[in-house]
Amino acid sequence: MLSDPVVEALDLHRSYRTRTGILKRERRDVDAVRGVSFAIERGELFGLLGPNGAGKTTTIKMLITLLLPSAGTARVLGHDVVDAPRDVRRHIGYVFGGDRGLYERLSALDNLRYFSELYGVPPREQRQRIGELLEMVGLTGREKERVEGFSRGMRQRLHIARGLLHDPAVLFLDEPSIGIDPVGARELRATIAQLREQGKTILLTTHYMFEADELCDRIAVIADGTIVAEGTPSQLKGRVADGHVAEVETFGLPDGHLDVVRSLAGVRSAAVEERGQAQVLIVQVEPGAEVTSGVLSSIGGTRVGKVSAREPTLEDAYVELVSAS
Amino acid sequence: MNSLRVFFVGGLISFRGLFNWLSPWIYIPSMLVAPIFQILLFAYIGRSAGVQDDAFFVIGNAVQYSAIPCLFALTNTVAGERWTQTLGIVLVTPARRVPLFLGRSLPVVVNGFLVSMFCLVVSSLLLGVHIPGSAWPPMVVVVAVAAASCTGLGLVTAAIGLRVRETAVLSNVLFGVLLIFSGANVPLDTLPSWMATVGEALPLSHAIAAARELAAGASWSDVSGLVGTEVLIGVVYAAIGLGGLRYFEAESRRKATLEIQ
Repeated sequence: MLSDPVVEALDLHRSYRTRTGILKRERRDVDAVRGVSFAIERGELFGLLGPNGAGKTTTIKMLITLLLPSAGTARVLGHDVVDAPRDVRRHIGYVFGGDRGLYERLSALDNLRYFSELYGVPPREQRQRIGELLEMVGLTGREKERVEGFSRGMRQRLHIARGLLHDPAVLFLDEPSIGIDPVGARELRATIAQLREQGKTILLTTHYMFEADELCDRIAVIADGTIVAEGTPSQLKGRVADGHVAEVETFGLPDGHLDVVRSLAGVRSAAVEERGQAQVLIVQVEPGAEVTSGVLSSIGGTRVGKVSAREPTLEDAYVELVSAS
Repeated sequence: MNSLRVFFVGGLISFRGLFNWLSPWIYIPSMLVAPIFQILLFAYIGRSAGVQDDAFFVIGNAVQYSAIPCLFALTNTVAGERWTQTLGIVLVTPARRVPLFLGRSLPVVVNGFLVSMFCLVVSSLLLGVHIPGSAWPPMVVVVAVAAASCTGLGLVTAAIGLRVRETAVLSNVLFGVLLIFSGANVPLDTLPSWMATVGEALPLSHAIAAARELAAGASWSDVSGLVGTEVLIGVVYAAIGLGGLRYFEAESRRKATLEIQ
């Protein structure tokens, strides 16, 4: 752990109880987070990567005081998220991705004015602060329009502005770029990079590997409620850099073949990615091993398209880590 | 200072943002036209059955109808955040919860008061009900107290909105309960005793009785006891509501109930 972390999670656990049925109700406990620990240094941009349901959002919700941990502790700027939630809330901004989270019937300006009040931004500073943030996120001139007419990208930028109203020291960005077009996502990444340059400590969750690669100082990969790897993007890539990646484009790959490919000698891990009509077998290969012929023979009569080999990327490291967990 | 701004400025902005009926196309039919229909219905039933006079139904229903804005609007301003997914964002702010939620009730009280006064004036004109000029000023106060008291009950349903989704159903049921148990259309002393007892513990009952007495020529001092009781009932419900909001917010952190959409 770091000497003076701004965000610190120690063995965090969170379980949910779900119920099914109406007359005969059955209860089931689901462990969404199972012993997550990490620490984020001041001014660091820390990425939390993982597949859907891995526990990313649950972890963030515990850190921002929306959920109580079932076990473990977490502190933000030294304030315990369970014992001192109000102290934590004063210093954090929270932004999540998607269409919602704004008052549709209100203008962008009124949305920002409302949260300025809730965050206790002094009235004399509100106008200037809101003006600066609108400028920063590129919404100057659109602030009097109702949010219901905003595109998803505009909403996301407004979310960012809302999260920064009280100039928080720590920002939690939960998949902020989800569903945004490439241009909007690029602008958003530039905004996030700008925030890091301003010295904000940022916890970012994202599905986009290139985004994490470009922005994050360190990354933790979370799968099935636990952290399976942690390090800089280079360190994570290094975990698979001593091999190569073989990609085999198939059409109509039957179920069960993936396990056969995984069992081949020289195969470190394998996954299937849907690309249009094709299913692309992405095979992480041990250094010096040649597996292409084995892979082709293992998938039998399946129609095969392009076969290629390339250097591993952060995404490959991620897929290997998640597949192995 | 900040809590005052959260109460007044924040309350008004969130009311505008969350009370979807503010569109004239919804507001006029549901807040101004529908209550007149309700008043006319009960007044004509009363006439044909030969029970009570028009003033009884006009006052009873005009005051009772504040339940629609007071219950639904306040519940919408909390439970509606579930749909906009702003509830979590609001709850991670450091704003104190009492001014945050109580501030949302102030525009609701004003709206409930305006709806009741509109119904009182318009239905009196339509049915030719004469209320003495001297009765109007104290009646305005009673109607305002009724709206505030009913908003106390609205805070209770709003608190439940932090836990369950179907708050509109609850508000509808409560509106029906108030229609019967508040004495708006049937005098409390002619209801079965248990119903009258329930009615005594509900908002609006004492305000309706006070307004009727004022219209019949009673002075403010004659009805001050009724008004005081109405205020007390409103305060008790508001306290339960604020306690409920606190409890269910804590519960949402324990049980992740804000996730329920």
